[in-house]
Amino acid sequence: MKKYTQTSGEIGDFSQLPIWQKYAWVDLLYVSYGLLIVALVLVSYMFGMLHWLPYDPQQINMDMLMAPPFSQGYWLGTDFMGRDIQSRLIMGIQAYFLPGLLAVSISLLAGVMLGILSGYLGGKIETVITYITNLIDSFPRLVLILLVVAAFKPDIYYIMMVMGITGIPAVATAIANKIRFLAQKNFIEAAIALGLRTRAIILKHILWYNCRALLIIQATLGMGEAILLETSLSYLGFGVQEPVASWGNMVQSGANYFLQGNFWPSTAPALAILFTILGFNLLGDGLNNILEDRRGR
Amino acid sequence: MTSIPLRAIAYTLIKELMLTFLLLLGVSFIIFAILYAAPGDQFNILLEGQLPTEAARAGIRDAMGVAQSWYGQYFSWLLGVLSGNFGTSVRTGLPVAGELINVSLNTLYLTLGSMVVTLLFAIPVALYSCVRGHVVAVGWSLTMLGYIISALPVFWLGYIAIYISIHVFGIFPLVSMGNPSQSNAWLSTLVPILVLGLGSGTLSEVIRSLREELSRVMAEDYVRTARAKGASVWRHAFKEGMLIPVTEIIAAKIPFILGGAVIVEQIFNWPGMGRMAWQAAQDRDFSVIMGITLVAATFVRLGSLLQRIICTAVNPHQANE
Repeated sequence: MKKYTQTSGEIGDFSQLPIWQKYAWVDLLYVSYGLLIVALVLVSYMFGMLHWLPYDPQQINMDMLMAPPFSQGYWLGTDFMGRDIQSRLIMGIQAYFLPGLLAVSISLLAGVMLGILSGYLGGKIETVITYITNLIDSFPRLVLILLVVAAFKPDIYYIMMVMGITGIPAVATAIANKIRFLAQKNFIEAAIALGLRTRAIILKHILWYNCRALLIIQATLGMGEAILLETSLSYLGFGVQEPVASWGNMVQSGANYFLQGNFWPSTAPALAILFTILGFNLLGDGLNNILEDRRGR
Repeated sequence: MTSIPLRAIAYTLIKELMLTFLLLLGVSFIIFAILYAAPGDQFNILLEGQLPTEAARAGIRDAMGVAQSWYGQYFSWLLGVLSGNFGTSVRTGLPVAGELINVSLNTLYLTLGSMVVTLLFAIPVALYSCVRGHVVAVGWSLTMLGYIISALPVFWLGYIAIYISIHVFGIFPLVSMGNPSQSNAWLSTLVPILVLGLGSGTLSEVIRSLREELSRVMAEDYVRTARAKGASVWRHAFKEGMLIPVTEIIAAKIPFILGGAVIVEQIFNWPGMGRMAWQAAQDRDFSVIMGITLVAATFVRLGSLLQRIICTAVNPHQANE
C-alpha cells in the first residue's frame, strides 16, 4: 500500500513543492537518464555532421586490427579493418537520426489528425478510422517493410515513411481515447457554450493544454522504435550499406568474428543501441508517470 | 458464473468474423496495391534482358493470359489465393503454397514458444512486484532488468546465445529444422525460442501492463471483500487481473513478435516465414512476399479474434457495448 503524507502547507499546495518531492525519485531518475541520452545523441549528431571526429570513420589501419578498447590512440578500439569504432559509432547516428525524426513526425501528424476526427466527431467516421488503424495494425512492421523493399528497393527515408505510417494507430488511439475522456469534462462543454470556434477548442483546449504530454511521450517511444527498426534493417542488409557506418551493420560485420572470441567489434554498437533505446524508453515512461497521472491513483 | 453465455459468444463471434474478413480483404488489397505500384513486375524480372522490345513482352503477357487492368489482376490473384494458389516462386520455380505451409508452421512453433517464454518470465515478475511492491529495491531491479532485456538488440543477443550454447552447453543451435542429424536437435531449437522470447522487445511492456492491471484489480472492492471474508483472492482476481490482460497483450504483440522472428530466423538459419521473406525481398520474388505478408496478417487477425472471444466468454456484458 502506498502511504501519502502531507509534507507541507494547505491541501492543494502540491504544486509548490520542490520537484524532487513532487515526483517519485525513480521517475526523475528515468527522465534524467533519458535526457542525458537525448543530449548525447544530439551532440554526437552535430559532431558527425561537422566531421569533428577522432578519425575518419572509413580510414583503414592495418596495424591496429580489432584493437580492444583503451588502446593507444583508439579510445573505443578498432574493428576488423582497423577502423576507429568511436568515429563509426558517432557516424552511425547519421543513419537513423533524420529518418527517425521523419518517421516520428509522420506518425504524430497523421495520428493526431485521425485521432481528433475519430474522438471528436465519433459516429461513422470513428468506425472508418478504427477500420483503418486496425488495417495498419494487421501488418507485422518488419514484414510490411520487407514487402516494400521487394517492391521498390527504396532508400532509408522511404522505409522510414512506411515506419511512420505503421506508427499512426498507436498515436491515433491514444489521442482519440484522451479526447473521449476529456469530452466528459465540463470545460469542453463550456467552451462550446461560450461560442468558441471548433478549431480553437481542438487546437488550444484539447491539443495544447491536454495532449502535449501525451505527444511528447509518443514521440520519444516512437524514436526508440525507429532506432530499433533502422538498426535491424541495416543488420539484415536492407538499410545503410558498408562501408558507411550504421550501428546495425557494425553489429553484423563484427559478428563474423564473434565466435572466434572477438566480442568487442559487434558488442560496442550493440551497447550503443542498448543504452540509446533504453534512454528513449525510460524517458517516455518516466515522463508518462510524471506528466500524465502525477498524483497517483 | 457456471453457465457459459453462448448467445453473447455467438453474437461476438459473428461480428468479429465479419470484421476479420473485411480487414483481411483490405490487407490483400494493400499488398496488391503496393506491388502493383512497384516499377516492373514478375514478367520484367523473369524476362529482363531476354526480350528486347516492349511489344514482345506484351505478347508473352497475352499468351499467358495475364489480365491487363488492375482490377482484373487483383481479382484473379485473390481468387487464386482463396483456392490455395499463391503463384510460383521466381527463385525456385515451385508453387509458393506448399512451402508457405511448411515455413508458417515453423514460424508458428518459434513464435508460440517464444510467447510462452515471455509469459513464463513476465507473469512471476509482475505478480511478485504487485504483491511485494513495497519492497522497492526488489520491484525496481526486476523492472529494470525487464527494461534492459527489452532494449537489447535481438541480433546481438542471438550471437551471445550461440556463443554460450556452443562453448558452455556444447549445443550447436544453427541447424535447419527437418534435419535432425543431431541427437538433441530439439534442444537446439530451444535456443532461438529463448532468444526471441526474451529479446523481442515485448518483455518490459508485458510486465508493465500485467502489473498495472493486476494492481488495479487487487484494489477493487470485490477483491477486498473476498479477502475480508477469507475467500481465495486469487480465484476472484484471476480472470480480470490475469487472464484478460495476458490475452490482450499477447494479441497486441503478435505483429511485433512476428517482426522479431524475421531477425531471429536470420541469425539461427531457422527455415521460417521471416527468412523466406528476407530472401524474397532480396530476389524481388513477388509471389513469395505477397503470400508471406498475407499469412502473417492472417495470424495477427486470428490472434485478435481469439482474444475477443476469450474476453466475451469471461465477461459477456462488457463485450456487448
